[in-house]
Amino acid sequence: MKITDLKRQQGEFCLHIPSATFETGKIHGIIGGNGSGKTTLAKLIIGILSPDSGTIDYEGLTQQDITMTGQKPYLLHTSVYQNLIYPLKIRHIQPQKDVVEYWLEKAGLQHKQTQYALSLSSGEQQKLSFIRALIFQPKLVIVDETLSNLDPDSVHLFESIMLEEQSKHPITWMTISHQLVHISKLCDQVHFMEGGQLLQSGTPEQMLYHPTHPSVIQYLSNTEVSFKGRM
Amino acid sequence: MNNGFFSEFFGTIGMLDSIRVTLIMSFFSTLIASILGVSLAILLERSQFPLKKLVIRINRTLMGAPPVVIGLLSYMLLRKRGPLGFLGWVFTIQGMVFAQVLIITPIICGMVYTYLVRQAPKIRAFAHTMGANPWQTNLLILQEIKNEIYFSIVSGYGRSISEVGAVFLVGGNIKNSTRTMTTAISTLKGAGDYYEGVFLGIILMLMAFVVQTVADTLRKEVTEDENY
Repeated sequence: MKITDLKRQQGEFCLHIPSATFETGKIHGIIGGNGSGKTTLAKLIIGILSPDSGTIDYEGLTQQDITMTGQKPYLLHTSVYQNLIYPLKIRHIQPQKDVVEYWLEKAGLQHKQTQYALSLSSGEQQKLSFIRALIFQPKLVIVDETLSNLDPDSVHLFESIMLEEQSKHPITWMTISHQLVHISKLCDQVHFMEGGQLLQSGTPEQMLYHPTHPSVIQYLSNTEVSFKGRM
Repeated sequence: MNNGFFSEFFGTIGMLDSIRVTLIMSFFSTLIASILGVSLAILLERSQFPLKKLVIRINRTLMGAPPVVIGLLSYMLLRKRGPLGFLGWVFTIQGMVFAQVLIITPIICGMVYTYLVRQAPKIRAFAHTMGANPWQTNLLILQEIKNEIYFSIVSGYGRSISEVGAVFLVGGNIKNSTRTMTTAISTLKGAGDYYEGVFLGIILMLMAFVVQTVADTLRKEVTEDENY
């Protein structure tokens, strides 16, 4: 996926990315402080927001191939099962029992499929939203701070699902997270954003252990205890 | 109340006909106002135009408009020399439905619009992330706020069944023709027949209860079917 001269003005804030490439089939981590433009970029990529100018070359992908899951997922006012199969339904795909059971089991929701989705705990809602985004085998998945507020077991579960899916049929992932351990563990490429700009990109090794850009160094210095201490 | 109360009451006031007229009028006026109100609310939420805020304010004003004013306006439109006089609807059930639609549509439209403004953007964003096309997105919005639409329609129906002023003016309260249960109650009160008025009021409330129960049962069945 290639981004060229992408601009979006929102009040005082302006996102401007002159050029960026997100290699297909890789896991990309987007890091940066609050208000740096990570979510705005995600919304521009998925098409919820329209750019004021610039282009995004999806390299053959359509809206039907891209999905996104966020920190506060929207769940339909119906059962867990109906939520899970919604992406299949709109693609006129008959939900296969074994596929549905596979995903429910992955998320530990196999005994809750008839339960009203909004009565699930917030962690379970995140899990449901995550597996719902994957059930139709998308080609590009944006994970916007989905791992925030999750317990370590759930984070591990998400990571294992991502890696397992990646080994089966490579997906382009864009994961926005403040959890640098997670970024370091999973990502092939890390991109740092600040003030609406994509300041630096590189491998986790380059970005997290040997950063060169002063803003990245500053960002990481603030997370030294939480990140470096756990590596 | 004397011994021949029921036979006298049924005959004098035309109770059975007033029940029939009430049911026909409230059913059709709610049906038409629901279609119009929900469609207008969707259109209003989706469109951006310079006078949108003014249109919303006018609609909110109409939500609380005195029925007797709407009744008078409807009468002036529908009377023989009025612009819609050619329809021949004055002192007919059609004319009463016309007036009721004018009263109920802004209520349903305003309520549904409020729900849509609050809910539609996030449903639309979600549908987009799932890859839904515009038709599927609109269908999902309606499905997601179906309970709110239902409550709006029930509110409209409640207004329709309890309204007196407009149907009095447009219908003329003609016995066995355009007399509704509310106008019948008003007539009974005028004649000093309070007990009969209360009796008819109880029947009216029972009818509203039965309709509400049927609607609730249908809604529950739909919700359960959708769950799996």
